[in-house]
Amino acid sequence: MAENKKVLVIGGGMSGLTAAIETAEAGLEAYIVEKTPYLGGRVAQISKYFWKLCPPNCGLEIQFKRIKNNPRIRYYTLAEVEDIKGEEGNFDVTVKLHPRFVNDKCVGCDACAQACPSYRDNDFNFGMDKTKAAYLPFEQAFPFKYVIDERACSKDCMKPCLEACKYDAIDLGMKPETISLKVGAVVLATGWNPYDMNKLDILGSGKMKNVITNMMMERIASVDGPTKGKIVRPSDGKEVKNIAFVQCAGSRDENHLHYCSYVCCLASLKHAMYVREQYPDSKVQIFYIDIRTPGLYEPRFYWKIKDDPNVIFTKGKVAGITEDPATKDVTVEVEDIYAGGKIKASFDMVVLATGMDVSTKSSKVGTAISYTPDGLVDDSALKKGIYAVGTLKSPADVARSVQDATGAAIKCIQSVNRR
Amino acid sequence: MEQEKAEAPETKVAKAAPEPLKDDSIIASPDLAFVNEIIKGGGESVKKCYQCATCSVVCNLTPPDNPFPRKEMIYAQWGMKDKLFGNPDIWLCHQCSDCTAYCPRGAKPGEVLNAVRKLSIEKYSVPAFMGKLVGNPGALVLLLAVPAVIFLIILAGLGHLNLESIRNDAGKIAYSSLIKSYYIDGVFVPIFMFAVVSLAIGVSRYWKDMIKTAGVKPKGSITSAITATIGDILSHKRFELCNVAKDRKMAHMLVLFSFIGLAITTAWAVTYLYGYEIMHAMGKTPYPWLLGPSPYPLSDPVKWLANASAIALLVGIVMVIMNRKKNEEKAGKGGYYDWLFIYIVFAVMATGILSELVRLADLALPAYIIYFSHLVVVFFLFAYAPFSKMAHMLYRATAMVYAKATERDIEVK
Repeated sequence: MAENKKVLVIGGGMSGLTAAIETAEAGLEAYIVEKTPYLGGRVAQISKYFWKLCPPNCGLEIQFKRIKNNPRIRYYTLAEVEDIKGEEGNFDVTVKLHPRFVNDKCVGCDACAQACPSYRDNDFNFGMDKTKAAYLPFEQAFPFKYVIDERACSKDCMKPCLEACKYDAIDLGMKPETISLKVGAVVLATGWNPYDMNKLDILGSGKMKNVITNMMMERIASVDGPTKGKIVRPSDGKEVKNIAFVQCAGSRDENHLHYCSYVCCLASLKHAMYVREQYPDSKVQIFYIDIRTPGLYEPRFYWKIKDDPNVIFTKGKVAGITEDPATKDVTVEVEDIYAGGKIKASFDMVVLATGMDVSTKSSKVGTAISYTPDGLVDDSALKKGIYAVGTLKSPADVARSVQDATGAAIKCIQSVNRR
Repeated sequence: MEQEKAEAPETKVAKAAPEPLKDDSIIASPDLAFVNEIIKGGGESVKKCYQCATCSVVCNLTPPDNPFPRKEMIYAQWGMKDKLFGNPDIWLCHQCSDCTAYCPRGAKPGEVLNAVRKLSIEKYSVPAFMGKLVGNPGALVLLLAVPAVIFLIILAGLGHLNLESIRNDAGKIAYSSLIKSYYIDGVFVPIFMFAVVSLAIGVSRYWKDMIKTAGVKPKGSITSAITATIGDILSHKRFELCNVAKDRKMAHMLVLFSFIGLAITTAWAVTYLYGYEIMHAMGKTPYPWLLGPSPYPLSDPVKWLANASAIALLVGIVMVIMNRKKNEEKAGKGGYYDWLFIYIVFAVMATGILSELVRLADLALPAYIIYFSHLVVVFFLFAYAPFSKMAHMLYRATAMVYAKATERDIEVK
């Protein structure tokens, strides 16, 4: 049997990058297949992340550098795994590559975007703003290459881009391609999606402009976000000085996500910090069932935020949200358990601490997946030689995802070497 | 818990007797036997509750101050029965099941409160052993045997066990010929009085417990609270506030108003029979509209009301059953106690309608047997009313009156 010491990693987020880099640095070859036009996943969308509260690039930059320096890593963006055939040690993987319409000559000069006449919803910012149909996914995108969104830009619309580019980087002839990769082991690292607000009927069903998810809050607070880091609300751009956080929006709920999503309490505490730092006269109210701050140092962060008299913690899960049709202010309905009464309180904006929904439920990875009763990927039921990592198996923060991905790398190394 | 822990060292240092707690927190001693009774009574999900208070928020029937059912769930988990029993809230709950549908833990607050209500009826039962018997599936045969034996003894005493040959003077099947109304009334009037007295005692104990537990005496006029309560009950406006179990309004209305219709029918028939008999005994010629002993012709208005009520009740109770089946997933299955009451009402109606139809079809043996079972289930319904779910009408009404009189009730538009 031919020795196949290559590893496929599906998903180019923090877990996937780590798994691929660790495998490659140990001497194997690794492929990364990423669905979006950039690497970095959810971490790239975060404004600041734990524990140092640094911007995402302080971690991603190192990973990208390791990828650039390592000839044994190949990555494909705008790529999707269609099918995984074969056995452990000898997988035959079909990958579909979507056209980028921009080649490696791109220098990121922005001329194509300036010339482009069409716009598209910016999915990187959860649709809160628009970009041109020829766009750079975000300011620090890796690979640093523009991309043309075919669905928002017909061939006629692409022509001005072609004419504007001085570097011969636009290639309108690009077609979808299917390639075949032969690998010995596979890592599933497709990560998570914020739980769909539309399913939360008592929390506004995603229909209210000033009710946003915690991931949208990260984008709003990011300097490269839709508001350049100014925390203002979507309906009218008003400064958000009176904000509520609704914890467990879909998590710990047998009607939605059965499990605790691990990161949401810390995320909301961090968001409270964003608001309090930006507006010293702001008021924050956090509605919770239990505040959970897993990790060695994280309780300290909780205590710090708790000491702020302008951050109020109210025990009680929000189970009703209404919107003032004129002002678009949001009113939440909750039982204040310690005070013993049902209250209605109005806010400029409300952030739902939506949990982590397993991404394989909404996108395919080419292999059969079974789920635990709680709706997470059942790692033990995967085909031999295929390993799930990070938030697919259990909600996790960045640090735990990295640890888990390193563990998956050693599993892959063992898997391909013991044959 | 945290508060207790924080306070403990201080009292140790001071070596003083623990000071009474200044806030309204309490030191609970769990009554596990009571928790198990709740679990057995249909509240098996009680321990799943993690006190998030979604239930109190989605409930449209709770007053905003100290809302239910979140606090009842923790009382139930700790077995704090005094807090539960002397509490109007367990009855202000109409089991819409909105709480149960939205509960993130499947703790089914609606079902738990229903189990607490069952235990509450049991607690206030006079005599107490009857409450235990009616709530216990093992005692069902015994409870049915009591009326069966009573009526069999009467029949045997009358020598009326030869069912085939019993006819009235006109040669027709007549239930009044099987057992004369005096015997039936001789059984049912005392039974009815017993139920009324038993319920009155139970309800007055409940009232006293509410005053003791809540520490709030009713203010204002009780009469106006009673009038308002009756208005609320008849209009069924509270049912309209339910979301999951909205359809129950029509079903419950049909059942309630049919019972009222049947009560009028009974009074009407009593007038026909005893009015006739009294005039007869006084030596006068009874008025022609006093028809005397049954059966009455289908053309008579009393039969119109009787038959209309019977059909409405049958439709109503079938709707109750169907609604429960339909909402089973969201609202829970309901326990033995619920279904016993529903099926007894159904049996009363089914045997009632069948005994009329089979009588008209002139099938003597089946007619009398069905009529006999009708008497047995009607006995069951009335004699055991203070101990079965039938008692809900008085306990819930009492809680509503108390809530109105203490300004705890919500305003229903």
